[in-house]
Amino acid sequence: MTISNAASLWPHGKKGCMALAFDLDGPTGDAMLNGTLWHKPEYFTFGGYGPYRALARLLDLLDDYQLPATFFVPAWVVENWPKQCQAIVERGHEVAYHGYRHESFFAIDAQQQRWVMEKSREIFWQYLGIRAEGFRTPSGDWHIDTPSILIEAGVTYSSSMRGDDRPYLIQVPGHEKPLVEIPGRWEMDDYASIAYTREPNFPSGLDRTASYELTLDNWCREFDGAMNEGLSLTTLFHPKITGKPGRIMLLDQFFTHLRSREDVWFARCREVAQWWLEEHSDVK
Amino acid sequence: MSNNSTSVQEKWPQGKRCAVVITFDFNDIQGILSQVPAVAGREKTLSVWRYGTLRGIDRILAMLAEKNLRSSWVVPGIVADDHPQKITQIARAGHELATSGYEFAKFDDLSLEEQVSSLQRGQAALKAYTGEQPRGFRIPAGNWAPGFADALSEAGIDWSSSWRGDDLPYFQPTSTGEQSQLVELPMHYELEDEPYFAFNLSPAVPPAQSRIASYRHTLGNMKMDFDGFYRFGLCYVLRLHPEVIGTAGRIGMLAELLDYITSKPDVWVATAGEVADWWRQTQPQNEASHPAQIWQQHTQNGVQP
Repeated sequence: MTISNAASLWPHGKKGCMALAFDLDGPTGDAMLNGTLWHKPEYFTFGGYGPYRALARLLDLLDDYQLPATFFVPAWVVENWPKQCQAIVERGHEVAYHGYRHESFFAIDAQQQRWVMEKSREIFWQYLGIRAEGFRTPSGDWHIDTPSILIEAGVTYSSSMRGDDRPYLIQVPGHEKPLVEIPGRWEMDDYASIAYTREPNFPSGLDRTASYELTLDNWCREFDGAMNEGLSLTTLFHPKITGKPGRIMLLDQFFTHLRSREDVWFARCREVAQWWLEEHSDVK
Repeated sequence: MSNNSTSVQEKWPQGKRCAVVITFDFNDIQGILSQVPAVAGREKTLSVWRYGTLRGIDRILAMLAEKNLRSSWVVPGIVADDHPQKITQIARAGHELATSGYEFAKFDDLSLEEQVSSLQRGQAALKAYTGEQPRGFRIPAGNWAPGFADALSEAGIDWSSSWRGDDLPYFQPTSTGEQSQLVELPMHYELEDEPYFAFNLSPAVPPAQSRIASYRHTLGNMKMDFDGFYRFGLCYVLRLHPEVIGTAGRIGMLAELLDYITSKPDVWVATAGEVADWWRQTQPQNEASHPAQIWQQHTQNGVQP
């Protein structure tokens, strides 16, 4: 039985749930981690555009549509653009963990993962005055130890996986409380359609940038499909990609489409996680 | 919708809403030789890039003349020496000429001294044909060494279009922290023709032999990009290549894009030099949180570990 045949899974009888989310990576990531970034001002500035220029525009657009969102932010970005990141919180959105310099948790050991989480907690507290509840794994997979490290760092949900279209619970050995997982989909990652950089090359074979018009059509179909089946959908959008002038036009049209439906619960990821934990611990 | 995300920066002369700079990188075979050294000596492949010099430039200049638009051309000195008549043709048509150094080198492979020498020889090569010292610079490939922006200013360069990080011009930070006179006109991959159209079968360009993008959809993207730059009152810097956009099939696409842009009454189409002059004379230095300043802050005592 699909969920669409059952009663609504979401608050106020809404049919589906949309949890818009953005990864505010700035210039963090592999090039910063391996040090090559410090010879590449062109690539550094490409990344710095996200928190410095794109973010403010994006926050304005979210205001225009009264849409709540979650921002997964590497703590290095918070340290270097504190005012810009404070604005996310002040405008009513959620800020959650995304590594310190966008580390792949799969590639670092438990001790290093703990250090990243502690460092992120300190920085979020110092600059933003918050303890984040959520985590999205940067750069690929997580490590077998990651779930328990997250719980020990006060995290209640993750939005890291890809293999489902509704939240689910991850039981963590040694911990009574499960972790809620809000899975994303590559189809809703703007990198998969419209990101392009050289040195480092993205996509690795320098494939063509997709049509904005067709990308919008893809995203609208994903949204409608998920909402029609009563599921949840999140996005992996990046301000430095989708917050550029032409792509803000694309998002503007996408947000118009989102708001054309009355039967959708628009929520921050932490609200989705809380709701799921309280109401649907038994759903498989 | 509220006015939040439609607020316009008031930054341009005569009440203009948005600036548009059309730039061409005239590299002939040098551009591809530096990207894919394996093409050396392969005449069929090289002819793909020679086409711009043989046919593309004439077609582009005719179209711009018809529309009464001026543009900025970035040329390495070696290409000027190989094709002097093209340089004078571009200059006589009223377009701006700027340098990318002499050899079209990947700048990471050069020392600061070699980079400065390449710059100076590149300037001299253009001056030999136009009589004027070029005031603009675009990095041919790679990244420059710390201190090179100071050398640009010392060499009489007023503008660069080499970095990213903004959709308005900004100032290249000086290594001393003093006020900068060097205006950066940042680039955007989505406003470049190569990512959509550059192609060669073997050696493969792009490396994954991607399909050539749809012209209609690429035009759609570039129009939507322009709509965004116009909406927010920004500086739209097109980066085009004669061998890519100057074909019989694609010139119409560029013409349609330029007609769309100039159909708005309050768009300022200017050369890079004109926009840089305006910016230098009217705008404050970068904010402390500008990506260029954050970069400077992290690298001013040498490169990070």
